[in-house]
This record gives sequence, C-alpha cells and structure tokens, in this order.
Amino acid sequence: MSFASAVRQAGGRLIFAPTGRVDATTADAFTDQIVAAAREARDVGALVVDLTGLDFMASRGLRALTMAQREAGEGVPIRLANPNAQMREILKISRYDMLFEIVDEA
Amino acid sequence: MRVRFWGTRGSLPVALTAGSVQGKIAAALAAAGGRTFADTAEAARFAAETLPFSTYGTYGGATSCVEVEGADGAFIVCDMGSGLREFGIDSFRRIAGGRPPVYHFFLSHLHWDHIMGFPFFGPAFNPAATIVVHSGHPDAEAALRRQQEEISFPVPFEWLRAKFEFQVHEPGVPFDAAGLTVTLAAQHHSHDSYGYRFEKNGKVVIYSTDSEHKVENMDAEKAFEAFFADADLVICDTMYSLGDTVSLKQDWGHSSNVVAVDLCQAAGARTLALFHHEPTYTDEDIQRMHAETVRYEELVRGDRPPLSVICAYDGLVVEV
Repeated sequence: MSFASAVRQAGGRLIFAPTGRVDATTADAFTDQIVAAAREARDVGALVVDLTGLDFMASRGLRALTMAQREAGEGVPIRLANPNAQMREILKISRYDMLFEIVDEA
Repeated sequence: MRVRFWGTRGSLPVALTAGSVQGKIAAALAAAGGRTFADTAEAARFAAETLPFSTYGTYGGATSCVEVEGADGAFIVCDMGSGLREFGIDSFRRIAGGRPPVYHFFLSHLHWDHIMGFPFFGPAFNPAATIVVHSGHPDAEAALRRQQEEISFPVPFEWLRAKFEFQVHEPGVPFDAAGLTVTLAAQHHSHDSYGYRFEKNGKVVIYSTDSEHKVENMDAEKAFEAFFADADLVICDTMYSLGDTVSLKQDWGHSSNVVAVDLCQAAGARTLALFHHEPTYTDEDIQRMHAETVRYEELVRGDRPPLSVICAYDGLVVEV
C-alpha cells in the first residue's frame, strides 16, 4: 500500500500532510517523516497534521504522533486536522482524541 | 488444547458490590418487561439470549491464573493469581477422577498479583503432589517462600507437603514440559516478565501478560510478532488504552488493546483474548472495551483475514 507525505508552511504553522495508510508496512516511513516535520516545526511554532488524504493509521502511526510531540517539545502544539470517519473512530478508541486536539480546517 | 481462565483481572482482586448486583437485577427485570417464566431454567434462557454479558454475567475479579489443558495428564497453569484458589479446589475433583496430582506452573513474573493465590493452593499440602515451577526468574522460589514468611502469612513454606521443583529457563530456547513444547520470551516490565508459547500437535497458545511495548522501542515488536506467529490463541495484556500507555501510565508495565490487535494481525494469529483487566473497570467498562477492540480490528484489518477478538472472564473455557 502506498504512502507519501508533503510538508508546507501556512499561517504560521507547519502543515504535514500524509496520504495513503499507515500500517505495518509504512509505519517506519511515516515515523521518520513526521518526526522530521516535528523537528522543523520547532522553528515555526506549531504543527498541523492534515489527515485529509489518510485512509487510516494503526497503533504504530498513533505512537509516531507521540514521538513527534516529544520531538517538537511541549511548547509546539500538534493538532490533527480533518480526519475521515475511520480515523475519528481510531482516535476515539485509542483515546488519542484526549491527547491531541482534533480540528476541522482547510 | 483447552484453555480455562480462572483469573483475568489485573493488579488487584475485585469483587462485585451489592450495588453492582442490584443494578444487574434491575436491568434484567426491566428487560423482561413484565414477562413471566415457567421456571428458572426458562428465565435463564431468556437472560442468556437477551441480556448483554455485563448484565447477565460478570468478567470476574480474580487475578491472573490460566489453565492450559492438553498436556500428558499433568495440570498446566500460567501464574498463581487469586484465581489459583478455585483452580486448586477444582483440581482435587479431577484428581479424584483419575488425574495425576502433577502441576506445572509457568510464571510470567513474581509481582504480588501473580503469586498471591499460592498460599491458598490446597494441593500444595498434598504429600502425593508434585509441583514444578517454571520461570525465567532465578528468584521465583525466593518470591514464593517470602510471601509465606510470618510477617505476611501464618503458614510457612516449610509446612507444605508437596514435592517441589523449580526450573529456570532461557528465553528463546524451547523445552518440553508435560507433553508440550514451551518457549519463553522476555518482556518489558518491572523486574522483567516472560511470555510463554505453548505448542502441541500444530496448535499454539500464547500467554503474554504484563508486557509493555514502549513507544520509543517499536522495533522490538518484530520479536513479538515472531513469538505470536500463527498462534491459535493469544492471551494478551490489554489493561490500558493506548493513550494511557504513552501518557499517564507510561512505564507502568502494561499494554493496550490496540497494540495487542496490531501484534496479532501482523503475526497472523487467529484469536486474541483480552486479558489482565484494569481493576477499576466495571463490567460495562470491560464490555465497552471489548466492543471497541472488535471495531478497531475491523478498521485496521486491511486485506488480512479477520482476527477474532474475545474478552477473557473468570470461568471462560476456550477450545483451541
């Protein structure tokens, strides 16, 4: 299954946009890329993970979000934007909806 | 093989309160809606067919104790939590029916909730009994003796009449015990813990409790996927939510339902048994966690065959 990501800046935030799915075969690439984005976000001030193009992520992807938050530091908030219905369920079941702010934005 | 769950609760035994029982009765009466029953058997059928398990039953409150049947006639038991007391009583019944009084225990680790049933294990007083304790811990014997010292318990270990043998095993080195092939895997937990892989005639049962899968060490999970490979049943520590294991309850030594599903899917396992339930959870909480885990498995299954997700409770019997 394919996975890709893109990074851009907009409105004083770094926007990390993964596409595809994050499962056992793509988790390592997702982890490397989102942790790198989190490192870059330290200089920007905030990181938005735009989930619009993501089918779903399993636990290794969720835990990569935690690694990214630790890399970014407490002063750099990470928000999860535009999850599809499947991802919203996964975030709720894992209780990651209590760890990360979920927002709807362009 | 056949697996019997004698204790499924994590950390601390719990008991139903009067309020909990009253709530179940009230819910059952409300569900009956004025219906009348010819006898209790008919009422029991109605309840079993109509009510959710959290109303008609309970997940129980005894701590970890799981029996694996299918060996050479000896009893195979994982951990000595408070569920061991009931197992010991039941084993007397089966010994009276001809089973040999030989017990092989496999200890995940030596924390209190996993050995607290041993002082109440009646067969330890049987001079005809043989008790073999398998562990990855060289201090297993010390742990069992220590909890029967006078400061903790009135009956010293020396008063026990069974013949004891303690065997320490290396992880990753298969050995034969009571007709089963057994392999240990080292797990992340305070003072270490060990998972067990039991194999016989092509069937595989995994017992993996009190095992934390650290967020910063996800590469280590490849070893667990191999350890769980093609298992017919994986009994797995699912005490917390994933969110808890990376935040408030990080380093508490436990895993989540979500990680357990991912490991079992990657391993090609057929059935996952949710185990080591959080002691503060009510029956409704555990039932909700079970339903969420079933749903999570569907959401991340992809092209894999379905993984059956069951929820262990005290008294559950699973044929493998």
